[in-house]
Amino acid sequence: MQALRMLLRTWRGGQLNLIIWSLVLAVAVVTSVSLLAERIERALTAQSSSFLAADLVVRSSKPIAPEWVAGALQQQVESAQVLTFASMVYHQDDMHLASIKAVEGSYPLRGLLRRTTTPFTTDTSLIEEIDYGPAQGETWVDARLLPLLNIELGDEIELGEIRLTVSQIVVEEPDSGGSYGAFGARVLMNFSDIEAAGIIIPGSRVTYRFLMAEGASGADGFARYSEWMEDQLDVHDRLITPDEAQASIADTMDKGRRFLLLAGSIGVVLAGIALALASHHFAAGQTRQVALLKSWGIAASRVRSLYLQQSLWLGVGGSAIGLLVGFAFSEILIAVVREWLPISLPMAGIRPWITGLATGLLCLAGFTLPAIWHLPAQSPLAVLRDDVKVEPVSSMARGFLGVIAVAALLFWYSNNVYLSLAILAGFGLTTLATVVIGLLMLRVGKTYGEKLGSIWRLASSNLWRRRSQSIIQMVGFSGAIALLMIMSVVRTSLIDEWRWQLADDAPNHFLLNVAPYELEGVRDLVTAQNLETAGWYSMVRGRLTQINGEGITEEQRDKHESFRRELNLSWTTALPEGNKVTAGKWWDELDLSGDIAPVSLEEELAGELGLEIGDLLNFSVGGLIFQARVASTRSLNWDNMTPNFYFLFPEGLLENYPRTSMTSLYIPPQQKLLVNDLLRQYPTVQVIELDKIIDRIRSIVSQVTSGLEVMTLLILSCGVLVMFAAVSLSMSERLQESAILRTLGSSRRLILGIQWVEFSVLGVMAGLLAAIGAEAAVALLQHYMFDLPFSWHPWLWLMGPLAGGLLVGVLGVGYSRKAVTQPPLLVLNSL
Amino acid sequence: MIEVSNISKQVKTTEGTLTILDGINLSLSAGESLAIVGPSGSGKSTLLGILAGLDLPSSGSVSLNGQDITAMDEEGRAAVRAKTVGFVFQSFHLLPGLTALENVALPLELQGDKEALKTAAYYLQRVGLEHRTTHYPRQLSGGEQQRVAVARAFACRPVILFADEPTGNLDTGTGEKINDLLFDLNKEEGTTLVLVTHEHNLAERCGQRLVIAAGRQVAPSTDVTHVTRGSTA
Repeated sequence: MQALRMLLRTWRGGQLNLIIWSLVLAVAVVTSVSLLAERIERALTAQSSSFLAADLVVRSSKPIAPEWVAGALQQQVESAQVLTFASMVYHQDDMHLASIKAVEGSYPLRGLLRRTTTPFTTDTSLIEEIDYGPAQGETWVDARLLPLLNIELGDEIELGEIRLTVSQIVVEEPDSGGSYGAFGARVLMNFSDIEAAGIIIPGSRVTYRFLMAEGASGADGFARYSEWMEDQLDVHDRLITPDEAQASIADTMDKGRRFLLLAGSIGVVLAGIALALASHHFAAGQTRQVALLKSWGIAASRVRSLYLQQSLWLGVGGSAIGLLVGFAFSEILIAVVREWLPISLPMAGIRPWITGLATGLLCLAGFTLPAIWHLPAQSPLAVLRDDVKVEPVSSMARGFLGVIAVAALLFWYSNNVYLSLAILAGFGLTTLATVVIGLLMLRVGKTYGEKLGSIWRLASSNLWRRRSQSIIQMVGFSGAIALLMIMSVVRTSLIDEWRWQLADDAPNHFLLNVAPYELEGVRDLVTAQNLETAGWYSMVRGRLTQINGEGITEEQRDKHESFRRELNLSWTTALPEGNKVTAGKWWDELDLSGDIAPVSLEEELAGELGLEIGDLLNFSVGGLIFQARVASTRSLNWDNMTPNFYFLFPEGLLENYPRTSMTSLYIPPQQKLLVNDLLRQYPTVQVIELDKIIDRIRSIVSQVTSGLEVMTLLILSCGVLVMFAAVSLSMSERLQESAILRTLGSSRRLILGIQWVEFSVLGVMAGLLAAIGAEAAVALLQHYMFDLPFSWHPWLWLMGPLAGGLLVGVLGVGYSRKAVTQPPLLVLNSL
Repeated sequence: MIEVSNISKQVKTTEGTLTILDGINLSLSAGESLAIVGPSGSGKSTLLGILAGLDLPSSGSVSLNGQDITAMDEEGRAAVRAKTVGFVFQSFHLLPGLTALENVALPLELQGDKEALKTAAYYLQRVGLEHRTTHYPRQLSGGEQQRVAVARAFACRPVILFADEPTGNLDTGTGEKINDLLFDLNKEEGTTLVLVTHEHNLAERCGQRLVIAAGRQVAPSTDVTHVTRGSTA
């Protein structure tokens, strides 16, 4: 209890403020980010399940086996069957090739259907969210089917042998998010009407889906069932997980999460530096107290025990406050990003709390303990003589321990090697540059400072005289600035990358299969609405018939639909924007004059089809066969909503085959009926509607961005704390010197001028050195973590020194104003 | 109470070995007082440190209360200091974050004294600072701070009290008051007092005086008793 009493008194005396705040902030940053990350993780799992309308789906080209359904029932797992296919629907003389979806009563197992009775409305108050589909004999249809068939709600449409009453407009299905393939207007019907309709016959092109979700048997039961299910699958079946279902937003979310992690990690490192500096400062102030204790006969072992106990109390107390602050902060962050999170945000488990507490204790062990370790060895003789001082643990050893603590925290916390290494490398490089170049700059500064006025002369010689302290301060400043720069650059590039998604006119519709004779008309129709396309691309439809001289086997056809259907083949000279060659060579490195044309494949598809560089492929276009050799694979950027092609050929090969055109364009909601006009006039044109999913992405991106801003603020406060800690390091010595100068009659201008020059010079140097480390770390992070192209950031090299000089200068002068506003004796007495 | 036999102290510097103390002998009985006097840099404070067990001589022995502290390790000396010794310093050495009362109570609390605060309050009252118990050192004058330090030293009821220039940082008037306090309490508590001072007046009030110059005992003045010349002197 004596240790606790001593700790509380020291705290009350103000000597612990910096340590406690650093500790609280370190724990708060980690806790808030971990809490947020875990809650979002859980929310996202729920969210992505809703993208699937289930926790797990099997998609198959054959009917769902009855034993799967029976198994689900027996294992108390929720299930539902869904059929999708294209079929004609009629009303009197009007007809439309609709996209039919037949669902069982339990559909959707996750997420909600949105329906309305007001066609084309965007008014959310008119839209109802429900967790069941249409009843038997009813159908809910896409609003645009109404004008296409000239019907109203309550009318009947014909589908095969039956008539279905159109009772609702379906606005959104939870599992339509990731699908780009809905060509016709949606007709949602009850599964039990399928048989009576008599439209599914053997050989019909139907996609069967079996939806599964956790039921009464809980997570374990579901895991058991899904394991059993996986064993039942054959080549016709494909298992779809929530991750795949939300692929369209996964990238944004993933980068958002990574940024959160990066920000959190930077926060930890910053708080760590602040703690190290504060502990160093604290330990320096404790030497006399320890000498006094020892002069009273308190043994070294007891002194160590007292300080260890105090550290433990400090760790537990500081962490407890940090956990509370972190919780409060995560609540604020959640309030900001609440909109796109499910209404019932799941509570976090115990892990974030443990992470927070462990951070506090580890920070203390890595930064505070090494700084105070030497204290018990302090000779009691120091009470009589000022020159008796025990040497602290060497800066090298302390730095090493600090780096180990930071590395351990980073790895454990981010679970990401690249991120940890990039931050460590950036910080390490900054520190190294600070020690080497910083010393050199101080030396040069001293030489040239002497030729300048008195303020500069005094300031530069002070900096040189206190060089070891100046370097430690500079490490603090430059480390903080570098880490803030890293965060700021990554944040800016992410937001830039997302900007197109936030842009109101990002393409939201694809037009495909436009025949050459229709092109003019379709163009006119679009132009008449004052809309612009993203340019027209030609393509030829052909089948892959042979690989390396061997025909496509039945097994291959079953395995991948690209072996079954016609593929879109296109041509280009330049590598399209957003494409990257991942293997092989692009046209410019190839001899294009040979007999066999090269072809470039999208890398994932190449992998799925088992194709490799050098494979010889036979394509059939309208019965005409040509050969091509796989020359390269490419990665595509699916985010930019412009046409992408799986198969690309060089120009001059495909132009003479029958071709169609495609484009993407933005259609505003109020002009949505253009799609109907287009389909009525050009029934063979395919329209892919992405407007709903884009709206969803846009709202997610803007919320994620707001979240990032809030996080940035928290990290900034960590940075300022480091600056405070570094400034306060030399403060008592500076105040003492200033008070003596003041006593000798120096002007306020001279004293503040010296402080201003010293601190702003330190800040400018630190800013410059920080730019080195930041640029290196950003290059690593952009390449390995955020998949962003490398670019120089000239503003870092300009803003770093400018902001560093200004910030550190203002902080330092603000801190040392006491020296000129209070009588010198008062200042000296208070030290 | 204190037996010092032929102690010397050398330190190694870049310019060779420097002798700070050489051949000091003294003997002091319980309840007596000793003033160590001499010019600045003569080794007074070094001698005080060695006598109090804060430092070790290079040769010779020091016995406090019948125990040879030069033969002990640091832990042993710490134990002797805890039981036997109290200090008053020139620069007070009060802890800035603690109130006057807490400053006085701290060494008692560290010894596990449950009545620490009560005892501290009593001694603060003895030095006339009962109305300043909740004040922090920065809120006290120099004289008041030294009175707190005196209260702290006596609160532990030391057998021997070491004072290093106790009035060196105070004006003459305040210094006198502190001296009075020191001697009054010393008498009342029956403490053995060893002090280092520049001040003639203060030295005069002690039963014994040891004059050192350049680390050696110089010829004692007539009123100095029990001080013998070292064999090397």
